[in-house]
Amino acid sequence: MTGLSLPMRIEKYAALALVLALLGWCMLPKERAPGKDAGGSPKKTDATAKYSIRVAIGQTYMPGTVPMGIGKEIRGMADVVAAFEQRFPDTHIELITVPFDREYLVTQLSSGSAPDIVNVNVEDVWTDVQKGWYLALDPWLERPNPFIREKGDPARPGYEKWWDMFKYQAISRGKAAPDQLMYCLSYDMIETGIFYNKDLFRKAGVEVPNTWEKMLDGMAKLEKSGVIPMTIFMDCFNDWGTDLIFDQLYNSLLPGIDLLQDPLREPYLQGYLDWDEICFLFQKGFFTQRDARYRDVFRIMKELRRYCGPPIVDPTLLINDFVKQRAAMHWNTSQLVYRLMADKDLGFEWGVFYLPTIGKQTSQYASANPMCVIGGSANQLEVTNTAFADTGDPKTSKRLERVMAFLQFMCVPEQYTRVVNEYPCFISNIVGVDSLPVLQPFVEILEKPYTTTKWIFTFDLRFGDIQRRLLELYLNGAMDLDTFMRWQEDNLRTAIDNLMLRKPMDMAKMQARWDELAPARAEMEDLPSGL
Amino acid sequence: MVFDAKNRMSHRTRFVLGIYALLAVPLGFLTVFVYLPFFWGFISSLYEFEIGAPARFVGLENYREFLFKDPVTWPSFLNMAFLAAWGVSVRLTVPLGVAKLIHTLGNERARHAYRILFLAPIVVPGVAIQLIWGIMVFSDRGLANEFLRLIGLGHLTPSWLTDPSSALIAIACIGFPWVGGFEVLIYYAGLSAIPESVNEAARLEGCAGLKKFFLIDVPMILGQMRLILILSIIGGVQTFENVLILTRGGPGFATTVPGLWMYYNAFSFQRMGYACAIGVTLFVLIFTLTALNLRYFKGAETLED
Repeated sequence: MTGLSLPMRIEKYAALALVLALLGWCMLPKERAPGKDAGGSPKKTDATAKYSIRVAIGQTYMPGTVPMGIGKEIRGMADVVAAFEQRFPDTHIELITVPFDREYLVTQLSSGSAPDIVNVNVEDVWTDVQKGWYLALDPWLERPNPFIREKGDPARPGYEKWWDMFKYQAISRGKAAPDQLMYCLSYDMIETGIFYNKDLFRKAGVEVPNTWEKMLDGMAKLEKSGVIPMTIFMDCFNDWGTDLIFDQLYNSLLPGIDLLQDPLREPYLQGYLDWDEICFLFQKGFFTQRDARYRDVFRIMKELRRYCGPPIVDPTLLINDFVKQRAAMHWNTSQLVYRLMADKDLGFEWGVFYLPTIGKQTSQYASANPMCVIGGSANQLEVTNTAFADTGDPKTSKRLERVMAFLQFMCVPEQYTRVVNEYPCFISNIVGVDSLPVLQPFVEILEKPYTTTKWIFTFDLRFGDIQRRLLELYLNGAMDLDTFMRWQEDNLRTAIDNLMLRKPMDMAKMQARWDELAPARAEMEDLPSGL
Repeated sequence: MVFDAKNRMSHRTRFVLGIYALLAVPLGFLTVFVYLPFFWGFISSLYEFEIGAPARFVGLENYREFLFKDPVTWPSFLNMAFLAAWGVSVRLTVPLGVAKLIHTLGNERARHAYRILFLAPIVVPGVAIQLIWGIMVFSDRGLANEFLRLIGLGHLTPSWLTDPSSALIAIACIGFPWVGGFEVLIYYAGLSAIPESVNEAARLEGCAGLKKFFLIDVPMILGQMRLILILSIIGGVQTFENVLILTRGGPGFATTVPGLWMYYNAFSFQRMGYACAIGVTLFVLIFTLTALNLRYFKGAETLED
């Protein structure tokens, strides 16, 4: 039937078996180096750990990585994990790296397989909180931190309430979601500043500016001296630039247009315009083509953009321009401090200043207030639904107890300083832990008032995406201001219509307040035409 | 005799039933994996919903928003129309010329070799082709700019994929010279199927060269042209992966197409219902264009009738 003799058949099947065995061997998972996790913490096996908790801590503190590619590997967080695991032998903390993509997170969260703790901007979480994917941390924050309590000193922050441990109370509490609940732990703080090359400034005869106009004059001089005056990541115009200049031009209008006060967030977000206020004001003609003030926001931004070199999208190249002295200034966050400090071949003296106030010379709408800030909470840690997957109920979950215990443990000053002060990057948010001295300029900048609104967090993700794309075109000269304003109005209208369909808002209350504030507005000039 | 007839009928019936049963299997899978998702997509387009959140019925609001309010809709349709029209033009013409040249070769071995040479590029994955073009051709120091510099037009070198005035053209140029695909094979098959009697008659009438090509060959392969036309239109309307890989729809919305906008709305903005509405709109568009094509573009067999 087959025509094959027995030995030939055996040979054939033996060869097949060999190939299958080889394939199987190739598909076996690689064995990890024994005894070590990322960053070098002692590894427990699943057999010895009752609770295996996955923490996507973020790139800044990921053990085993080299910040900015310079110097030694960091290991502060690994030490904290090791100390925690020693304290809780039944728990294994796995520090993992996950993609930043929202697509990834959403699929993981919807399937209940996200890391127990994630690190994302809490504003991006707000759209998902009603889905039960994230845990409100308020009950834990209102209770003592057990690791402080056990030390027996009632004077120590955290003895009564975990909340008391946080240095920047207003900023941290200001991260409450619109449903008034707190879904994140503001682990540390970040602020932006303008890094400048003191040598190039001296050479061009430029001083640190104290007004916007002087800054532009200085940029013109720097340009004449043959360097790029300032580099900035294009997306930052959309994020930081829009909010800062918007605040400069609208701050003086707040007494007439700030319709709702949020008692919880007001101490920090004074006069903050929330999404519902923006919707209401849009219907009154604000932020449209009829609003000359809104138009001026983008005109001023274009003036600044003129001095910011070619449209490079790779942040590393922009930093290189500054480091190689091709650019005199670079607008970035405190994260850059380490890069500059650790570079032994830098070859120039650098400093940090903050954007100065926009004056009437630049815009007739300028409020002349000091420039606000747009930083605040840096690493924002959220607890996901995976943390209480054992029972499905946060009240009864033992696993969640461990997850919360780890977060509380991370905040104990002795542990916290090992992480946050391992290298200069972010500002300490725990009472009793000072920031590294080199970050002092950013600590001072952080004291300034917060912006009037965060445009890219106000509406849906689509609004932010459209604004970013169009602003880039406009700033790079591929679109004129009129066309940009038309797009922006259409974009805003679609976002507002969509938001109003999805979320109820108390228009009557805002109308009543609007009417009450009419006398204040009567004294204001240049409100949108037809108001 | 009666018994035999009954037996034969029964055998025939069993055979037919067997065919139906065999067809039912792929049809079942097709229903589960294609028709039901399509139906589900249509139903979903009437809802506002995100993954993990309860859905809310909004009727035709998603369609209204897409067609009349979304500022990205019409620019994306214009981009798609340009890419589709360009794709149709080049896929209908260039491979036809190549197929005719191969068909004209006298040596069968040479014809075979050329067929393989022109078909071989289809084994290269599309993503790899996009990346090759993005990195090797359209980068600042890529082939396109180096060529311009070589001929003394260095001052005209654009940032092909990041300049709004050149990005869409750059996307359209991908695949140049548009001859490495199965279109050549389809045209070649069409040309080979022209009866020898027709060719002989043409020769006797003194019809040769371009005259024969346009008056005899082209009308005889209209069926193949219609197939390629339909596939090109469908491909043009559905296109988005090349744009996603190379420009992500930018700069601005200079290269955004409706398919890409659907993808972003579904997976980046979490607006599943809205994305379904875009998908259904594209389906209706493809269906309409295909129906019009079938109605007005006559094949060779129709001409013969």
